[in-house]
Amino acid sequence: MSEKKFGIVLDARKCLNCKACTVACKFENVIHTGDDNYRIWVSELPVQGTYPNLSMEFEPSQCQHCENTPCATVCPTSATYKTEEGVVLIDYKKCILCKACMTACPYDARFDSHAHHAIEKCTLCYHRLAEGREPACVETCPTKVRTFGDLNDPNSEVAKLKGRNATYQLKADKKTKPRLFYIK
Amino acid sequence: MKLSGMNLSRRKFLATSGGAVAAGLFAANLTTFKAVASGGHDAQTPTGEKGEKHIASSCEMCVNKCGFFAHVVDGRIKKLNPNPKFFKSRAMLCARGNAGAEEPYNPERLTTPLLRVGKRGEGKWKKISYDEAFKILAQKLAEQKVKHENRSSVAFFSSEGFQEECFHYLVQSYGSTNTVRHPTLCLSSVIQGWSSVFGAFPDADMKNAMFAVMFGSNRAEAIVTPDTIDIQKDRPKGQQLVYLDPRFTATAAKADKWYPVKPGTDLAFVLALINVVVTEKLYDDKFVKEYTHGFDELVEHVKQYTPEWAENECEIPAKEIYWTAREFARYAPRSLAYPGRRTSWYVNDVYFRRACAILTAICGCWDKEGGIVPKTPFKLKKPDVLYPYFEQAEGRLDVGSFGEFDNTFPEDGRKDQGLPNDSVAFLGEKDGSWLRFRDAVLAGKPYTVDALVIYKQNFIEAVPNRQKTMKMIEKMNFICSIDIQMTEVAHYADLVIPESTYLERWDSAHSLTGLWPLATFRQPVVEPVFKTQSMFDIAKGVVNEMVKIPELWDDVDEMDFEDFKTDIVDGILNKPMEDYIKFQLSAYPGGYETMMKEGMLAIKDTPTYGKTLKPGFRFKTRTGKIELLNSKYGAKGLDPLPVYQAPRQPEPGKFRFILGRHAWNTHTGTQNNGFLWEIQKENTVWINSAAAKKLNIVDGDLVKVTSKVGEQEIRAFVTEKIRPDCVFYAHGFGRLSPQLSLVYKKGASQAEILEDYIEPISGNAALHETFVTITKA
Amino acid sequence: MSSHAETKKSPLAGLITYNKDIPVMPLILIGLVLAGIGAVTALMVLIKGHGEMYGVTRQVPWGMLIATYAYFVITSTGLAFIGGLGHAFGFEAYNKISRRIVVLATIVLIAGFTQILMEIGHPIRMMIYMILTPNLKAPILWMGVFYGIELVILAFELILVFKAHPTAKDHKMAAILGFLALLVGTLATSNLGFVFGSLNARPWFHGIYFSTFLVISGITAGACLLMLIHNIVYKFNIPAELTKPMNSLAKLMGGGIGMMMFLYLWKILTSLFNSPDGAYQSLMALISGPLAANFWIGEMGLAIAVPLLLLIVAKGNTKIYGVAGLVYMVGLFFTRFDFVVAGQLPVMRAANEGSNVITDANGLASYSASAGEWGIFMLGIGTALMLYFAAEKFLNLKTPDHH
Ligand SMILES: Nc1nc2c(c(=O)[nH]1)N[C@H]1C(S)=C(S)[C@@H](COP(=O)(O)OP(=O)(O)OC[C@H]3O[C@@H](n4cnc5c(=O)[nH]c(N)nc54)[C@H](O)[C@@H]3O)O[C@H]1N2
Ligand SMILES: Nc1nc2c(c(=O)[nH]1)N[C@H]1C(S)=C(S)[C@@H](COP(=O)(O)OP(=O)(O)OC[C@H]3O[C@@H](n4cnc5c(=O)[nH]c(N)nc54)[C@H](O)[C@@H]3O)O[C@H]1N2
Ligand code: SF4
Ligand code: SF4
Ligand code: SF4
Ligand code: SF4
Ligand code: SF4
Ligand SMILES: [Mo]
Repeated sequence: MSEKKFGIVLDARKCLNCKACTVACKFENVIHTGDDNYRIWVSELPVQGTYPNLSMEFEPSQCQHCENTPCATVCPTSATYKTEEGVVLIDYKKCILCKACMTACPYDARFDSHAHHAIEKCTLCYHRLAEGREPACVETCPTKVRTFGDLNDPNSEVAKLKGRNATYQLKADKKTKPRLFYIK
Repeated sequence: MKLSGMNLSRRKFLATSGGAVAAGLFAANLTTFKAVASGGHDAQTPTGEKGEKHIASSCEMCVNKCGFFAHVVDGRIKKLNPNPKFFKSRAMLCARGNAGAEEPYNPERLTTPLLRVGKRGEGKWKKISYDEAFKILAQKLAEQKVKHENRSSVAFFSSEGFQEECFHYLVQSYGSTNTVRHPTLCLSSVIQGWSSVFGAFPDADMKNAMFAVMFGSNRAEAIVTPDTIDIQKDRPKGQQLVYLDPRFTATAAKADKWYPVKPGTDLAFVLALINVVVTEKLYDDKFVKEYTHGFDELVEHVKQYTPEWAENECEIPAKEIYWTAREFARYAPRSLAYPGRRTSWYVNDVYFRRACAILTAICGCWDKEGGIVPKTPFKLKKPDVLYPYFEQAEGRLDVGSFGEFDNTFPEDGRKDQGLPNDSVAFLGEKDGSWLRFRDAVLAGKPYTVDALVIYKQNFIEAVPNRQKTMKMIEKMNFICSIDIQMTEVAHYADLVIPESTYLERWDSAHSLTGLWPLATFRQPVVEPVFKTQSMFDIAKGVVNEMVKIPELWDDVDEMDFEDFKTDIVDGILNKPMEDYIKFQLSAYPGGYETMMKEGMLAIKDTPTYGKTLKPGFRFKTRTGKIELLNSKYGAKGLDPLPVYQAPRQPEPGKFRFILGRHAWNTHTGTQNNGFLWEIQKENTVWINSAAAKKLNIVDGDLVKVTSKVGEQEIRAFVTEKIRPDCVFYAHGFGRLSPQLSLVYKKGASQAEILEDYIEPISGNAALHETFVTITKA
Repeated sequence: MSSHAETKKSPLAGLITYNKDIPVMPLILIGLVLAGIGAVTALMVLIKGHGEMYGVTRQVPWGMLIATYAYFVITSTGLAFIGGLGHAFGFEAYNKISRRIVVLATIVLIAGFTQILMEIGHPIRMMIYMILTPNLKAPILWMGVFYGIELVILAFELILVFKAHPTAKDHKMAAILGFLALLVGTLATSNLGFVFGSLNARPWFHGIYFSTFLVISGITAGACLLMLIHNIVYKFNIPAELTKPMNSLAKLMGGGIGMMMFLYLWKILTSLFNSPDGAYQSLMALISGPLAANFWIGEMGLAIAVPLLLLIVAKGNTKIYGVAGLVYMVGLFFTRFDFVVAGQLPVMRAANEGSNVITDANGLASYSASAGEWGIFMLGIGTALMLYFAAEKFLNLKTPDHH
């Protein structure tokens, strides 16, 4: 096993809802326009309060690269798999488009990709990691909401950030053990 | 499945190598590489070239010019990646900057020059060559000159951009004095307001400020670099952001305090802040004594403007005003009264901006870390060119028409407001005043303007009162639009000349003047997909044709004409743009090469403070001091101190219509880019829930928005996020050009319902003075 | 019977015939037309792609074709179950109709396969990679394995049941195969339930419920279908020698519906109490939401109440059994549709601005079957009608009396 454990720590409080990350992902990963075609999304949580006492938060997210990986468990051809660094990937040529993984994912992170004729989702920009570049959504963000890196390396920015701050995971009750951590 | 041997953990992401990495270097180590590598693109690559490149350039999707590396794969742009060294944009590229990669391939972009064959606006065109287009334009310009014996009968409209300079090569080669630029639709009042105090329009040191008051400068959505980044990223511990806006914007959501200010009353708030600072002696006495002029008059003037008084005006509690004033003074000089950018708001905008500058001055928040800091340029060499003197060119139309118009002010309260009798007290020589200019064209006074050449401006949507603009268009003999897409202006033009997009052309070097000055430029990251040309090429083509037409030069001294041909036509235009850029950078050895490689040039990456505080420095004001009391305004019939006049209010049942940006589009230029369009497909009118309830309107209802000048239909967005006395919808929808098919007739246009009032000191349009009724459609 | 004369020529001799008194030509023709429409639709799907032709979305990735697939294959295993009861457990009544059972089970299974083949994006890849790189944890893999085996068993059973003069060894073999068909079929169907039951993300599906429900409703469907086709074949005049099997089937059906009601009751109550997240929304979608008409009229009316009433009033009238079977089979279509769709309507992410998730007023995702999906369903129904009634017309499906 690799000692690396890639993950992202997000400080959503800094998110401006600018959608730079969502558009960047589309180009980096050649994802066509279309309502169902996206690997990453930024939600505007409902406004709290009534005028003039208001608050509002944004929630950027993508595939959680779950350590317990329901989408991989149900995949009949092992098209969905986890690399040793914990990145959940799909081997497009093995995908039979049975969509079991889509129904298994509690985050609605996957979609039927017309470009790949397979199911796809966030790869953590795995192809960029090989070049020493960080994921496109991480890189392009104005306020650097996301910090990417090796959670197992105590000297990494992510590990430190996670250590310094209390964090939560989305839908922790689903026991998927997401690798995306949100700073409280 | 292993990234073995890559040492990724220790590798610092965001390495300074930036986008210019050796792609695929480690690819062999990744068994899974193939599976995740992206699939092919659909569109054609014109050159058939192979391989990957990372080319440095800068963004043109809005005014900010962020730095990027274009990742080009097999001759096609795959992605634009932020340039990590480009400190003005802090290693970011926004949604629009990313979507820019689609611009050259946009299926509806302009690909070839078009000559109108049907009726104007009918959309029937004949494709012609660039050479034909140049001939036609040169010929038309000559005809105009001969017919009116006045070169100024052709007006030249343009908006900012690196190639605007090239457009002006064309304008000046022709000799019209009528250039109308974008500032009077945008920021001329804030420039005027701050310059009237400091002699300059400064920057805000957002990164280092401890206390910032922002007035409707919606930085989270109206992106201005680096401020947009600095309001959230790496904030100094304890920094406070106070934000005033009638809308609960994304900035409001991020701010430490949000005051839903009553529209048009920010001036009352700021005057009350000054009142508290003065009354409680919280100002920087030393600074005031050393650098300012007119403090005593100011003290006297602001006595009337107590927080209790202001509370009535702006609906912000007096106790909050006291708090803001005291905090502002406490953190000074690291306190900001944020100047803002689009200040085309109200008819008294200059006074409001002056007041912000005055508050800054008396608290000594000037030219210091965390305060307001004058801009520093990055010096570039300029060619020393002299255009011929054209005899047949009258002075500016909007100067000539002084005293003609009094219909641009909502109510005749000018005297009370200390505002001038005419519509523009300080008219920019090159910028003009858009609204005033249009009125003068319509009146035909003092002379006729009946031809337009437009560069990169879509004034049908960007200028209030669209119907009036259409009347102006009807009066035109000839209209030429130089754009990249079939905007409304292009749709109603007679000749359309496409420009290459910013990713396909050379743009000369420009200084991004400011707190973090640097120079950048553009180089083609791909060959023009449709063999289009840059404005530089277009100027060259047209001017070379003009030179061949003798009637164009009979009012010019022969020697001047010869010099013009050698110095400008052959010396600049007929040479490659690369030569021009090399010349601009010639003071920096190796500068050109660095620019090509890194996309930018800078002396240092830290701000410089205090240049204007050195002994002997003269501010660019009449007194050479910071003028709390303006010494020029009196002569123009203006009050030398900012006076407050309550804005007029909508009658019961009406709403004030206010404008603002979303982070996902630039003005009217990007909505037809599918990657941005899918974020927001149509605009909706924001209406406060309580107000909507009174009108029986529920979310999603189709409503009619009616003003004095027009009406539009649009769906209602019923929300808590706006004051009950105003409504809002986004810019750039409800379009008239069918070749913007994604937004053609989708949603509503602002220009159609905006009334055309002028801020009479700067000539800026006052875009928040329109009242509308909302009815169920 | 004419076939008896030629039995010596070959073990299968006498099989091919023309039964002019079986009035199914119109049904064969209808089957042909439907299958034709289906084939054209299938061609269009191959050309235009699934995305263009099917109504499924990112939120509801499984649509009507999964439902129709389930409709067919579960009915098939229900039939195999009944056949198994006859062969392996000595339920004599069912042995009397074993040819029809096996033929019907096979053809309905094939109809089911048309649905899944048109639903899966890459059926050929499926064959390759389920073998090359199988994921043994994946319920869908086992679904493929079990239904594949089921088809093979049925094929062997077919050979056996058509033997004119089965030997004692054949009888033993039939018993073993019958048992295997029952076992594998039940495994296949309960595993199909597990394909859904394993989805922790989708509370309506999660758990053992559907594994049980599908098996029971499938056996019921088998009984219904048998009563229906016998009525068709015998022009609603079932000969006396077959009343016993029919009565037995009717009991099976009644018992099945009774158990379904029992399961419904507890599923509804558990999904109602304390409004468990997800399951509650699914239930509401069924009882008062977008699926309410399907649920009340289709599931509760046509698949439960009406057939049950008909059975009660039938009192041995085999005609009414046939009608009850037909009504149930129509109702069961809605049952299967609702089952697949209801579990997916609660969204995985709230439909907030910017989330790209769109919901209706109830906060649910929406799905409606497209013309393309209906077309593929016609392919399944058409194939089944055409093949089965052609078999009736041209083969001898009457089980010879071996005693
Ligand atoms: N109703 C309303 N009016 C407004 C505003 C508002 O918010 N609402 N905002 C005001 C402000 S602040 C401003 S700055 C102005 C802006 O007003 P404009 O400068 O007119 O801005 P746009 O409407 O975006 O039009 C810019 C045009 O440039 C074209 N273009 C883009 N790139 C290129 C290029 O490389 N070459 C060429 N030749 N053309 C190009 C685009 O296609 C578009 O037609 O509008 C002002 N007017
Ligand atoms: N994404 C994006 N970014 C842009 C641009 C773009 O088109 N898109 N354009 C660029 C340009 S050219 C410019 S000029 C800048 C403009 O950037 P800003 O100067 O921030 O201008 P707007 O976005 O128009 O924001 C005006 C805000 O003022 C509020 N407002 C209205 N009336 C009042 C009032 O009386 N008092 C106060 N306090 N607030 C009021 C409105 O609700 C709105 O939120 O943005 C630049 N950045
Ligand atoms: S978020 Fe969904 S797609 Fe991603 S690993 Fe988890 S279950 Fe799989
Ligand atoms: S759709 Fe593809 S990736 Fe998803 S489970 Fe099926 S084979 Fe695996
Ligand atoms: S990591 Fe890469 S693939 Fe994943 S969301 Fe970000 S940009 Fe998209
Ligand atoms: S790029 Fe960053 S700030 Fe913008 S929406 Fe994405 S996470 Fe939020
Ligand atoms: S702010 Fe966005 S659109 Fe403007 S220059 Fe920067 S990246 Fe381009
Ligand atoms: Mo602007």
